[in-house]
Amino acid sequence: MEGTGLAFELQHVSFAYGPEHPVLNDVTFSIRQGSWVSLVGPNGCGKSTLAKLLGGLLAVNGGTIIVEGTPLLKETVQQIRPRIGMVFQNPDNQFIGATVEEDIAFGLEGRCLPREEMVDRVKRYAEKLEIGHLLSKHPAELSGGQKQRVAVAAILAMEPGIVIFDESSSMLDEKARGELLDIVSEMKQSGKYTIISITHDAEEIMASDRAIVLRDGGIAADLKPWDLFQNGELLDSCRLIAPYRVRLALELGKQGIQVPLDRSGEEVADALWQYVSSK
Amino acid sequence: MRNKLLFGRSIDTGSWVHSVDPRAKLTGMVLYLVAIVIVGSWLALSIAAAFSLAYMAATKIPLKYYAKAAKPLWVLMVFIFVVQCLTVKQGNVLWHVGSWGLYTGGLSSGLIAASRMALLVSFTAILTFTTTPGLLNQGLAGVLAPLRKIGISAQRLTLMMSIALRFIPTILDETHKILKAQAARGADLKEMPWKEKGKMLVSLLVPVTVSAFRRAEELVLSMESRGYIIGAPRSEYHLLGWRLRDTWFVLSYVVLVAVVLMLRLNWS
Repeated sequence: MEGTGLAFELQHVSFAYGPEHPVLNDVTFSIRQGSWVSLVGPNGCGKSTLAKLLGGLLAVNGGTIIVEGTPLLKETVQQIRPRIGMVFQNPDNQFIGATVEEDIAFGLEGRCLPREEMVDRVKRYAEKLEIGHLLSKHPAELSGGQKQRVAVAAILAMEPGIVIFDESSSMLDEKARGELLDIVSEMKQSGKYTIISITHDAEEIMASDRAIVLRDGGIAADLKPWDLFQNGELLDSCRLIAPYRVRLALELGKQGIQVPLDRSGEEVADALWQYVSSK
Repeated sequence: MRNKLLFGRSIDTGSWVHSVDPRAKLTGMVLYLVAIVIVGSWLALSIAAAFSLAYMAATKIPLKYYAKAAKPLWVLMVFIFVVQCLTVKQGNVLWHVGSWGLYTGGLSSGLIAASRMALLVSFTAILTFTTTPGLLNQGLAGVLAPLRKIGISAQRLTLMMSIALRFIPTILDETHKILKAQAARGADLKEMPWKEKGKMLVSLLVPVTVSAFRRAEELVLSMESRGYIIGAPRSEYHLLGWRLRDTWFVLSYVVLVAVVLMLRLNWS
């Protein structure tokens, strides 16, 4: 459910960590409100730097970033930041509170919300993320997946319109990764959020609406995820492997059975069954 | 390992001690510390012990938890006991080796000093067992609030303390992992002579420090992205309210200090 307005508009954005270390050069693109965009690319191509620029945690060296119509400047960053939530890679390093409920409440305290509203939001979002039974737990008592759920709850409780996931699933096991993907998919379906995920996870990229490929400090491609997974050269440069169902669908296509690449695993399996039955 | 190191872990039993204002508990703890320091006789020590046992019982938390809290400091207690035995030369000689003798006064003050330490640690556990870290921070911020007059932000201080405590188990866990990784490459600290252990410590401290800085950087980003601004006003998730019971709680400690002080003066 994409909106009509733009969540982000980047115009000729450049950034360097000093004169010797340019990272981004003349990056221009825009992201619609309510869409889910994957930022992909090889390690060191500037994905996380771009995420920090979008989140207002770093300032551009050149160009402009416009967030929901407001230019992201030193003067406006505090006004814009509450609209953007960021979930980082290591769930341990973003756990600020001593317990789950205190961690979720941390951002709300900064907004000077009354206690009743904080308690309500903490409970509501903890239930939503299925961590309601963990509210009094210390971070050392939680698994990586549970900690990442806490991080997402803490961000959603602040009710931002934009959520950036910076390789948030990369330190999780397969099950927790799948659960996080389900959470992000639900967020997308709710239509309340613009989602940007920096990821190497093929399933996560497939679930998004659009993939922007970064390479050598610029945009190498801006395409639909299934188009990315059909482009061998791009996949190689991003060191990505298409999900198994996509590879299977492509192989079936070679055998004359056309299965659209955005189909689910079950649908691809059905097509395979039809192919086997016809033989 | 991490189960042993749950710093600031609270155990909710719903007792009345749990609902006492953390500022009252902190004040009580400071007063108890004063009482423990001025304890000079077995009678005073017994009164302090009975006092803390009564409060421990009131928390409805099994006493074994308090004993566990004091357990990690047994080496320190033994050390204090031995030092007292070695240095105090009062009373009758119980036993002697060459020119050194064990005196009844040394034995008595050694036992009192070690008991003081055990009581202090166990009693401090009342505070942490009955108060969540968040409430404790807020209580501490309340107690330290007057420091604002000399330009020190209590909120910042307590946030720093809370984050430091929060990361102790994480960093210890990481140290453990690095030790294991080094042991897997043949540098097992347990097997090494002390001199080698000293050298190895550097190769342990460097990755742990680097990692702690990396974590700190990521934590800062996370705090900033959640709108944290140093010195900006914040509302409080835990609301504190001082009640009559809190006053009685503090007064009970004042009475304890007074009794112990009187005994001390009489003893002198």
